[in-house]
Amino acid sequence: MTLPGDFQFSQGSLQDLVDCKRRFQLRYLLQIAWPAVPAEPYLENEQHLRLGALFHLMAQQHTLGVDEARLTAMASEEPLAGWWQNFMQQRPALEGTLFPEAVLTTPFGQSGQRRLLAKMDLVAVSDGRATIYDWKTSRHRPPRTWLADRLQTRVYPYLLVQAGAELNSGQPFTPEQVEMVYWFAGFPDRPERFIYDAQRYAEDGAYLTGLLDQAATLSMSDEPFPLTPDESKCRFCVYRSLCNRGIAAGDVNELDFDDPEPMVEFDLDFEQVAEVDY
Amino acid sequence: MTPSTAITTLTKAQEAAGAAPYDRAIFLEGPAGTGKTTAGVQRLLNLVQSGVAASSILVMTPVRPLAKPYSEALRRTRLRPGSIPALVTAGGLARRNVELFWPLVSRQAGFARPDSPPVFLTLETAQYHMARIARPLLENGYFESVTIDRNRIYSQIIDNLNKAAVVGFPYTEIGQRLHEAWLGDESQLRVYNDAQECATRFREYCLRHNLLDFSLQVEVFRQHLWSLPECRDYLTRSYRHLIVDNLEEDTPFAHDLLRDWLPQVDSALLIYDQEAGYREFLGADPDSGAALKVLCAEHLTLNQSFVASPELNALGARLANALRQPVTAQPPVAPEAVRQTLLFREDMRFYPEMLDWVAGQIADLVDGGVTPGEIVVLAPFLSDSLRFSLTQRLAQAGIAARSHRPSRALRDEPAARSLLTLTALANPDWQRTPEQFDVSYALMQAIDGLDPVRAQLLTKIVYRSKANAPGLSSFEQINPDMHERISYVLGGRYDTLRVWLADLQRRRSPATLDHFLSRLFGEVLSQAGFGFHDNFDASQAAANLVESVQKFRQAVAEVDEQQQDDEGGSVDPGREYLDMVEDGVIAAQYVRGWQEVDRNAVLLAPAHTFLMMNRPVDYQFWLDIGSRGWYERLYQPLTHPYVLSRHWQPGRQWDHDDEDAANQERLYRLAVGLLRRCRKQVFLGLSELGEQGYEQRGPLLWAFNHVLRELALSAELQTQPVASQNTPL
Repeated sequence: MTLPGDFQFSQGSLQDLVDCKRRFQLRYLLQIAWPAVPAEPYLENEQHLRLGALFHLMAQQHTLGVDEARLTAMASEEPLAGWWQNFMQQRPALEGTLFPEAVLTTPFGQSGQRRLLAKMDLVAVSDGRATIYDWKTSRHRPPRTWLADRLQTRVYPYLLVQAGAELNSGQPFTPEQVEMVYWFAGFPDRPERFIYDAQRYAEDGAYLTGLLDQAATLSMSDEPFPLTPDESKCRFCVYRSLCNRGIAAGDVNELDFDDPEPMVEFDLDFEQVAEVDY
Repeated sequence: MTPSTAITTLTKAQEAAGAAPYDRAIFLEGPAGTGKTTAGVQRLLNLVQSGVAASSILVMTPVRPLAKPYSEALRRTRLRPGSIPALVTAGGLARRNVELFWPLVSRQAGFARPDSPPVFLTLETAQYHMARIARPLLENGYFESVTIDRNRIYSQIIDNLNKAAVVGFPYTEIGQRLHEAWLGDESQLRVYNDAQECATRFREYCLRHNLLDFSLQVEVFRQHLWSLPECRDYLTRSYRHLIVDNLEEDTPFAHDLLRDWLPQVDSALLIYDQEAGYREFLGADPDSGAALKVLCAEHLTLNQSFVASPELNALGARLANALRQPVTAQPPVAPEAVRQTLLFREDMRFYPEMLDWVAGQIADLVDGGVTPGEIVVLAPFLSDSLRFSLTQRLAQAGIAARSHRPSRALRDEPAARSLLTLTALANPDWQRTPEQFDVSYALMQAIDGLDPVRAQLLTKIVYRSKANAPGLSSFEQINPDMHERISYVLGGRYDTLRVWLADLQRRRSPATLDHFLSRLFGEVLSQAGFGFHDNFDASQAAANLVESVQKFRQAVAEVDEQQQDDEGGSVDPGREYLDMVEDGVIAAQYVRGWQEVDRNAVLLAPAHTFLMMNRPVDYQFWLDIGSRGWYERLYQPLTHPYVLSRHWQPGRQWDHDDEDAANQERLYRLAVGLLRRCRKQVFLGLSELGEQGYEQRGPLLWAFNHVLRELALSAELQTQPVASQNTPL
């Protein structure tokens, strides 16, 4: 299947393309639903993801001015209670105009028909400078080198420079005005900060476009995309049985620094608001 | 209506709506097919390209499919970098904001656990909880005089709550309103009291357990959130430009929200389809939508149809006349030209003959070069048997058909059925003994290469049920002759599956049904040598099932935990889920976003569903036009769309004249709505006897007879002899 002309890339889909091209093809291009267990223990993992989502919601509610005491009362379960206490006591100083859950998009690739899209936890704009905050609720605190390689670290600042003018009274941000901060709810005293510059911006632009070209080229053939050479990744990939690369899901405690994928993938699209049909 | 690709340039009126300055509210109205949505889409694109922050634009439609032209245009168009507009329904907006501002309103809204997160119910999970409340009451004689299926009782009580919420009256007045308007047998009054009691108990139960069905989401938003400065400021500051399409299909809840919001926005475009309002039975209120016109500074009307020909429009006007409805002026069209928009055969006695005729006509059209996607077959209701009969006939002619929903009930999906049977086998203590046929079918689905004959043979040998507990025996223990007939390869696969199931059963693991199904899928059925390995339809059905079970578990978990504390008892959600699927409470008929619809297939749909898809076609087949189903409301003894509407005068009684007038108007809107979504020709399917074998003489048939008589007379007056084909039906 050829990469559709209006395909929307996200940091998640690009990360899959880098990690395992076959996974990108199955998940985003062919959209194959494959309900295997992503990681064990199943319920513990589900609970962790649920509380992680709740933490993100509470952080957004906090930004919108919901009373802190009421939010604190909501955080009764562990590890959410601990994360929230950390957030209350050691969150970064959020200054300026705050844009929670900011969704940005830009035309992507040569034709410009495809798009790059991201939803950022929070963008704080102050004196023409922008800081992207990403709340992390992962079990382990990843090292800087690991984070630096993540597509998120490249896509978010790039996109903010490309498409963030709306957040800055119509003035585009220069790369030097942008930085990204990972704040770890479980390790509040060890945030990781990435500053951005023109060289990095140019490199990211070329790199991301290269990835798009790679996906487009691979999709011209009917062949399955190449599988990752790192088979340890397959233990946490639901498609492991389709690729004949394992039976049981891996133990989430053996996962490096990422959270396993949710059972139901968040589909970032133009239709942002969930609803009940009536 | 979905913009036609044929429209490459905009009319002046469309341009005026699309490019009007972004500092005013515009009310754009007109009949279906006149390009109103195209104008709306253009305005959205203009707004985005003009430099307005896309995130400040809110596009609101009554249901999500009606937003498709907008989302497709956004995807198709090379937009400048920036944010994205929000495409929402009023219900979706309510839900999102209830979630966002929950800590601020949960206490005052009366929830028993205000510091715990809300649990949002789907229609299915709401129905499940309603069943839990109503079932014991039904056992005690509630709704004794009502003869409809239990699930319809549950859904009508939920429907009443929804109507109270969207119309804006207290849910405690449902019974009284229905009671006061009733003119007939007194036993019905008891039914209304029972319906009220169930609704009240359900609401109290929801408040006790932090459950929010659609009605409670709307009520919390309407009563607590919209007046809350944090929420109201957030919404009015975030969204400065509104585009609202199909206003006439939305509810008073949406209209009230807009009434407050419009004075505060920079710009708005409200799009109103005249002579529509097909969702009235779900609480839509065209009149309260039309009332928003006075709040708009600019009024525009589009009249020129891009879809229906003048002849079809003239036919609509004649039908309006026959149904005693106001007739809009139409340009003169020769009677014979109007007549030619209709095709029918009048000598068919039995229903199957009519279906044969329909299939034959479709085959002729397709042979003549018509794309199947340009043909729709419409009926007042689409029964499974009708769908099956017609699909079979079309398949024989080599024509693909699709029904109005691409998904089927889960229990009808082979892969899901197989998983549910294997679940029963893995849980013998649940004492659900599958039939031999189901086990053999499950094995056939599960094991790659196992044909029906060998599946039946294997099942006969290995499947036993002792004291209502099903069990499977080992392949190795069976007669060696049978080994060879079934083959060692397939037998080995069977044993892998059996051992896997037995092992889980022995270890009492996993604890939840969705986990079990996920593991069964991942560790066995999708492995090489098993039936789901590279079967993406099966994996999709399995994914739907796992998701449905997971949502169900999450929606009942909170309640069960509490009940366990309160009452010391608990139900296994997995077992409960299977019961609900069996009872038809859970059909899990939802369509995943990525499921593609085969556009190149003949569509079979209930007429109202087709109208809400808002997609014109070249040819329409109206089945069984003699059926009273085209005219009469669905039998709903527990609810009433008119009595529970905002326009109903308390204390009035609903009599036969009201019913006739409402049906007449409904039929008119339906017929004209369909004609406005037809480009070329309408085929009328009629047989003397209907699907159930009764003689058919309904008002739609009568109206067409009237129109044909008139056309014949007009043609005669124009000196043309009356052609035999112009005789009434």
